[in-house]
Amino acid sequence: MINITGLAIGLAACVLILLYVRYEQSYDDWLPDAERVFQLQTLYEATESGGEEMNLQMSAIVAGRALEKDYPGQVENVVWVRSFSPVILQDGQASVTEDLRMVDGDLFAIFDVPFVRGSAANALPDTHSIALSESEAQRRFGDQDPVGRTLTIVDNNGPVDYRVTGVFEDWPEHSSFSADAVARFDLGAQFADREYALTGWNNQQGWNYVKLRQPADAALINERMPAWEKRNIPDDVGEGGTTNPGDFQDYRLTNIRDIHLGEAQAASVTPGNDRFTVTTFAVIAVLVLGMACVNFTNLATARSSQRAREVALRKVLGASRRQLITQFLGESLLVTAIAMLLALTATELLLPVFNGFLGSDIAVTYFGAGGILLPVIALTLVVGLAAGLYPAFYLSRFEPAQILKANKSAADAGGSGQLRNVLVVGQFAVSIGLIICTAVIYGQTVYARTSDAGYVRDGLLQIENLGYRGVDGRDQQVVEQLRRVPGVEAAARTQIAVDPGGNSVSRVYRTDSMEPIDLGQYSVETGFFDAMGMKLIAGRDFSNAIGRDDSTTPFPIEEAAERAFAERGANVIVTREATRRLGFTSPQEAVGKQLRSELTQSELGLVPITIVGVVEDARFRSLRAPLQPIMYLMRREGFGAIAVRYSGDPARTREAAETVWTRNIPQVPFDGRFADDIVREQYEQEAARSQIFAAFAILAVIIGCLGLFGLAAFTAERRTKEIGIRKVLGARTRDIVQLLVWQFTRPVIIANLIAWPAAWWLMRDWLNNFDARIDLTPVPFLLAGALALIIAVATIAVHAWRVAGTSPVRALRYE
Amino acid sequence: MLQMRGLSRIYRTDTVETTALDAIDLDIASGEFVAIMGPSGCGKSTLLNLMGMLDTPSSGSYVFDGKEVAGLNESRLAEVRKANIGFIFQSFNLVDELSVAENIELALLYHKVGSAERKSRVETVMDRVGIAHRARHRPSQLSGGQQQRVAVARALVAEPKLILADEPTGNLDTNHGEEVMRMLQSLNRSGSTIVMVTHSPAHADYAGRVVNMLDGRVLQERRRAA
Ligand SMILES: Nc1ncnc2c1ncn2[C@@H]1O[C@H](COP(=O)(O)OP(=O)(O)OP(=O)(O)O)[C@@H](O)[C@H]1O
Ligand SMILES: [Mg+2]
Repeated sequence: MINITGLAIGLAACVLILLYVRYEQSYDDWLPDAERVFQLQTLYEATESGGEEMNLQMSAIVAGRALEKDYPGQVENVVWVRSFSPVILQDGQASVTEDLRMVDGDLFAIFDVPFVRGSAANALPDTHSIALSESEAQRRFGDQDPVGRTLTIVDNNGPVDYRVTGVFEDWPEHSSFSADAVARFDLGAQFADREYALTGWNNQQGWNYVKLRQPADAALINERMPAWEKRNIPDDVGEGGTTNPGDFQDYRLTNIRDIHLGEAQAASVTPGNDRFTVTTFAVIAVLVLGMACVNFTNLATARSSQRAREVALRKVLGASRRQLITQFLGESLLVTAIAMLLALTATELLLPVFNGFLGSDIAVTYFGAGGILLPVIALTLVVGLAAGLYPAFYLSRFEPAQILKANKSAADAGGSGQLRNVLVVGQFAVSIGLIICTAVIYGQTVYARTSDAGYVRDGLLQIENLGYRGVDGRDQQVVEQLRRVPGVEAAARTQIAVDPGGNSVSRVYRTDSMEPIDLGQYSVETGFFDAMGMKLIAGRDFSNAIGRDDSTTPFPIEEAAERAFAERGANVIVTREATRRLGFTSPQEAVGKQLRSELTQSELGLVPITIVGVVEDARFRSLRAPLQPIMYLMRREGFGAIAVRYSGDPARTREAAETVWTRNIPQVPFDGRFADDIVREQYEQEAARSQIFAAFAILAVIIGCLGLFGLAAFTAERRTKEIGIRKVLGARTRDIVQLLVWQFTRPVIIANLIAWPAAWWLMRDWLNNFDARIDLTPVPFLLAGALALIIAVATIAVHAWRVAGTSPVRALRYE
Repeated sequence: MLQMRGLSRIYRTDTVETTALDAIDLDIASGEFVAIMGPSGCGKSTLLNLMGMLDTPSSGSYVFDGKEVAGLNESRLAEVRKANIGFIFQSFNLVDELSVAENIELALLYHKVGSAERKSRVETVMDRVGIAHRARHRPSQLSGGQQQRVAVARALVAEPKLILADEPTGNLDTNHGEEVMRMLQSLNRSGSTIVMVTHSPAHADYAGRVVNMLDGRVLQERRRAA
């Protein structure tokens, strides 16, 4: 029974992870013509001026255009998808569609997805047509037919009417792309006032999807990419000399099925995964299954003494060794098959929970291309054979004469006890290792959520959507009214907020050097640092009274104003990390220092800037990202969010803020979230993974304990006589329990010695993925060791107690 | 040394009730060598187990060394037992995984005896029963007579006041049987109290008193003229 249960648990874990791994690898497989669909990705190399290595899934509009022009024989179609989701008006009501994709061509010629109403071929015949997903259509129009209805998208240039042309089936979860609605817009018209968006090679605002005529052409195009870059990418002429974006940019066509686990994960449409995580899960699955097999082998050989007579008798009656091996293997296969049935049942039951955890839509299908029937049969065979092989050979080896004459088990002699110990040690090493990993991963996740971010997370409400057209400068009123809301202590607009979507970087030069230093450059208004709870460590805060503090220049660009700004210069506040990068020995030293930076058109030269203050570093992004050195500029517009510092009831504050917002800007939906929640979401995936890790650790421990339990039961039984003798000789029950517990404690201690260094090495590597991380202390190691020990002792003690408590007379009677 | 009054042991199973011992009255004095005889199933082993406190009586009184032990709990019994009683069994009951010396040492393990003293006492008894040259062997590598000598040594090593032997010669041939009997006799002469169950009248002759049992009762006692 222990055998089957343990094996079933191991198999269930294995099947689940198998499903998960296949699921991760099957992203976009469902897409018709997937082998011809590619994404044009941009890979940035690290630069000497401090530019980070960055692999983007996005690419410039111009890159897609150039590719289409240069490979007419190979490229069938290129469509650019914009990452910006504007507000939609439906019957005058403003709302946001989560994944609205604005495309400049017929996306459904590339993504040939199934349609519920209309068809892929006719969905995007021209600009100003829009197709909805089934759920989105349901949400917006209920059971009515949306085809022919009108939705108004409020884009940069004002409201534009779109005609609904069709409804497509919801985009499957296991896709690197997602869409609730796809709208074909007029690229030229939208970007008429922003020529650089169309021509700049350093300007990524969306994704280029490419359909090739032949899948094999991708290799050819990628091979020629360096030459193609040289031909197409023009020089940037700037103050620091002439540079070519192609020098630190590489382009690559990546097949859509390889995007999810691919190298480029920055700016992805849907969250990707890394191969390492998937491999780790696969390894854990194999380990857990291995442990279950070990249990099987262990118990089978342990029981061999009981079966020795049976074997001997069969041999005497003429069974050959091969017949016996076949018999034992058959038994083991049968047990495995039963366990597999249990495992599949368990898998089906657990899958919804698992899916809920990962936000996935893994399904069990037995037949067909993605069916698991064949792998499951293969797994059953492999496990059945692996687990049964050793016991089969071991048992069939017994010499009948010896066993029948000696009237005792041959298993008592020989090295099988040794092997069993080794296997138990191995099992516990795996369990302990997994417990340690779980503890460390959990610790890091908690740390990520709670560590000092440089700003005060409690009592911070963040209101976004400031970038939408339709706000039209009324954010100013909103902030002023927010400041008067009771309970609000401070409110300020900012370009950077918790979990920022974008990145803005400027080159800064010291007066004495032409060596550029890349600093994050963000606009904030006065009071921002107070609202965020960020500490000023040197110099002063921005002030509205000092003209040079204000870096606002008009938009759209006015030549004269830019020139005046370039001559006058600006005051800036930098972070501690920025002073370090700039080469100052202390924040105090940096205050009052002159620098120059690219803050306007390159023709106008570098703008002189002065550091007037230094603030503490703040981590707005995930802990995985390196700490960005930042230069804050005070401006009056160009913000994305409002930071609201409040005391008192959070829900009431949020409600009050929403009232203020809708009173002033009814056209744009209110999006206010608490900093705490945003950070929690930032690490949601991490948390889910750590929970799954924990689940498998628990599984491993359970399987390990089942094995130990079985072995202890068996040993106690086998040693009944010895225990009887010891009791006759004066041992108390307690002495016997001690004896047995110690016998099983030793392997657990040895397992610790193996698991500790392995887990330490693994976790050090993993923690290195984080820029800010917890220290690797001995605590999780000792805890895991103690936990394993306690569990092991508890498991055995139950047995030992029962056996030790029986009367010695009985024990000796049945000798 | 011990007095039994109306001592009974009844085995109850779901269906039947077996009265293995029926109100036994038996006194054994210090320094005696008593042989218990009787047909198979008459309750000899049961009596010996009660005497050795491996089992508890259903009713009656058992005074050992002046103390009533009939009602004591398991761990108190273990205390009395390990301080006073040594056992020898028909089937030797040696631990296969341990060597001869370790088997003997086992009897001291649960006493408060230091490791060095344990070693020397084990050496002494091994010499006394003549198996010192086999100290490192496993029981399975010895002959039956040798195994029983190890069992005797183990019974002796804790220097018990009372040695209980349940058919110590039952599994041995005549020569080896005689050898073990002579060993018991010399132990008795040097002061040990011995109670032995046997089926062999010849071996019973070594004892100073023979108790005959039938169906859980003492049928007759016979003292050998000194
Ligand atoms: N654990 C038990 N449960 C039930 N009945 C038992 C038990 N042990 C002994 N008996 C019964 O008690 C009676 C006495 O058994 P005991 O072992 O004392 O006999 P014995 O005189 O030692 O016999 P032998 O000479 O064969 O060793 C027998 O009828 C036996 O069947
Ligand atoms: Mg008997």
